[in-house]
Amino acid sequence: MGDLLDRVVVPVASEDDARTTAAAVLPRVASAGGEVVFVHVIEKAGGAVDKAGVEQREEYAAEIFAVVEDAAADAGVPVETDLRFDTDVADAIFAAGRDHDASAIAFTPRDGSRWFDLLTGDHAHDLVKQADRPVVVLPAEDEDE
Amino acid sequence: MSDEELAKDLGPLAALTIGVGTMIGAGIFVLPRQAISDAGSLAVVSFLLGGGIALLTALSASELGTAMPKSGGAYYYVNHALGPLFGSIAGWSNWLGLAFASAFYMVGFGKYIQNIIGMPDAFVVGPLVVPSIKLVALIGAGLFIAVNYVGAKETGRLQNVIVVILVAILAVFTVFGALNAETANLPDSKGFSPMLTTTGIIFVSYLGFVQITSVAEEIKDPGRNLPRAVIGSVLLVTVIYALVLVAMSAAVDPGFIGGLSDDKIAVVEVSRLLMGPVGAAALLFGGLLATASSANASILASSRINFAMGRDNIVTPDLNEIHPRFATPYRSIAVTGVLILVFIVAGTVEALATMGSVLHLIIYGLLNVALIVMREADPADYDPDYEVPFYPFTPILGMLTSFALIAFISQLIVALSFALVAGAVLWYFVYARSRTEKQGILGQYVLSRAEEMPETAVAAASSVQPDGGQYRVVVPLANPETEKELISLAATAAKANDGRVIAVHVVQVPDQTSLQYGADHVEQLDANSEELLAKARADAEDFGVPVETHTILSHRSFEELFDAARSHDADMLVMGWGEDSHGSPGRAESGMAELAGDLPCDVLVMKDRGFDPSRIVLPTAGGPDSELGAAIARYLRDQYGSEVTLLHVADDLDEGSAFLDDWAADQGLLDAQQRVETGDVETAIETAAEDATMLVVGATERGLLGRLVSGSLVLDVVDDVDCSVVLAEKQRTRSLTERLFG
Repeated sequence: MGDLLDRVVVPVASEDDARTTAAAVLPRVASAGGEVVFVHVIEKAGGAVDKAGVEQREEYAAEIFAVVEDAAADAGVPVETDLRFDTDVADAIFAAGRDHDASAIAFTPRDGSRWFDLLTGDHAHDLVKQADRPVVVLPAEDEDE
Repeated sequence: MSDEELAKDLGPLAALTIGVGTMIGAGIFVLPRQAISDAGSLAVVSFLLGGGIALLTALSASELGTAMPKSGGAYYYVNHALGPLFGSIAGWSNWLGLAFASAFYMVGFGKYIQNIIGMPDAFVVGPLVVPSIKLVALIGAGLFIAVNYVGAKETGRLQNVIVVILVAILAVFTVFGALNAETANLPDSKGFSPMLTTTGIIFVSYLGFVQITSVAEEIKDPGRNLPRAVIGSVLLVTVIYALVLVAMSAAVDPGFIGGLSDDKIAVVEVSRLLMGPVGAAALLFGGLLATASSANASILASSRINFAMGRDNIVTPDLNEIHPRFATPYRSIAVTGVLILVFIVAGTVEALATMGSVLHLIIYGLLNVALIVMREADPADYDPDYEVPFYPFTPILGMLTSFALIAFISQLIVALSFALVAGAVLWYFVYARSRTEKQGILGQYVLSRAEEMPETAVAAASSVQPDGGQYRVVVPLANPETEKELISLAATAAKANDGRVIAVHVVQVPDQTSLQYGADHVEQLDANSEELLAKARADAEDFGVPVETHTILSHRSFEELFDAARSHDADMLVMGWGEDSHGSPGRAESGMAELAGDLPCDVLVMKDRGFDPSRIVLPTAGGPDSELGAAIARYLRDQYGSEVTLLHVADDLDEGSAFLDDWAADQGLLDAQQRVETGDVETAIETAAEDATMLVVGATERGLLGRLVSGSLVLDVVDDVDCSVVLAEKQRTRSLTERLFG
């Protein structure tokens, strides 16, 4: 499976998540000589008012992508970004995997209690359960900030 | 589906339900009793009149919405058309108006809960006696704030279902009412004036349509669906309200409503009479849903308004931070939530309803004015899909009726509302004006026709213009001997950027003296203050650069300098450096050490040996700080025709010239002389500076100010050359890697 990290779709949810995920994913992809497509999904209510405005979420997405693009430039990894709108975050990530013909989907689990997972929907669980291509779970680097 | 379609997923029904769901709330479930008691048979007319006023504004809001389907709705249109002064008024009014309305909805919610579960009138909590209605209102508000703070996409869909149920319940209610209606039952009219006062109170029932515009960017095909939803929701609720009022006044005996005890809810009791216990239960259930959905929709809408205000820097954009987990604008929701809780505690039902009404009437009036301005100024990008009929009569009538209705509302409430408006104006001048950059269409229109416009209009327009976009150079002054040189350098930078100079006189107060004492004795502490600033003003004006002057009293002048740069939103700080530039010499070094952290803006430090920019030497090894140095050299060249020499010290002469060629081209300094040397950097600079009049040096990695303290290269050069030295350091925001590993 040397080509597992050839073309990796990596979901990022927030600026912090982008930082930890980039730190975990990029060195591994760099040494495998692969490339990364970072995906951010704006969760839509599907015909009702969203929890935050679309323009607001798009600005937020731009900040997240700025973080990963910087990090990828530093790591020398070719990078693309993909902003998606969907009512289901996991579905959107898999769709991105198909559209980009990804060799794998990689993510870094976010810490936090089961409560958070319950409240926000546990996407990590969905990603693993519904996988239609290899899913790589990378440990967050131990960073002493 | 394309992303565009996915992002805009609010269909016509969903858009309609936002308006209807926000409007059918506590207004119709709580207020009919008061309306009928106050206005008699004219209560129906009150609701119809309110609907009429709302409809006029709904037409204007529709046109503006189709022309500008942006997040933030009414605030955005007013800010765009009338500029940030009125934008500040509209934004604050909309935000606070929604918070007042939400507090009112939640008190209505409390009333319904109390009717369902039957609680004592008040609870004793410690030393406090809390009316049970307010207690429930607080708990309910806390719940809805929490739901929105965490964010659940399900609540939005639930809203659609709730609205359908509500309309169904009220429809059945009116049918029963119609079947039992007899004109003999109608109460007497109480006359015209109480009817108008009642309209002012019940107008809180018509706030919802404008919330549709605040999510305009999410509506599918806004050109068609937005006007339908906005106008349709007003028409629909007006008809529903009128029928409910007719049913309530004509289907029961005239004395029935007046005879109810205080804890009863009129619509519920009328329903009980008409349809039995099932009817009462349905209306109780409906009231709960209605008040809850109104509050929920209002909280969502206010976060959109906050976002739009933050984007224009009318409030701090920090308010609109997105929660990393919940992806909600959690700070905005939390602040709105606190406002709602405070208003619930502070206000009576009637006060909350009328505050919500008055603040929205102000916005509605301004919306109509905004429409007129957009039509008259007719900017090229103004292309609404929907146009208001009978222009200009419709918006003029809409404006007049909205503002006129305010006159019939209790004077105390009007006074409070105007105090809030005055607060918003003050907010603009004190906080927002220096930050916001957006100029309104009205201001542009007036100023671009300064010749034809009346002088007072031009003066008024220019005196309230935002100046947040302007380049600001802050110059702290202390020593009269270097004043002219520092001002010259600052004015050069300001002029090159069409900016202004802010001269700050830092008066150092001895530690043992209180600042208040200092303030009282400015003259004694520094008799030259006024003279110095007057000179600074005159010198800057010689450059044709606008100038402001301020005096700061401080124990610690160096920290104060950076604070001053921050509070004036400076783009550049120009400081003198030397024995007595900023107070007592002994303090300089400790002060410098404190400054070595993040810079609030670009910083120039001048070691002054006379301001003569005729021959400038600019050593460079690349990097952002040399680029700032290059910019300074360019400004001086453009304004004084300075002769610029670029100096690069390299290991290899050929590589060095190649680098310098590229660099000069990038910096727009191709006309400068290029000098490439090998060997010791310090010596090379000293040699090059021998017949220069000014040396401009960019800081290197470690931070210029740190180097000054540590006495490394730059400092030695400063002392070893004979000309003036300008040290430049760019504002630094720490890079990603520094944040990660620093």
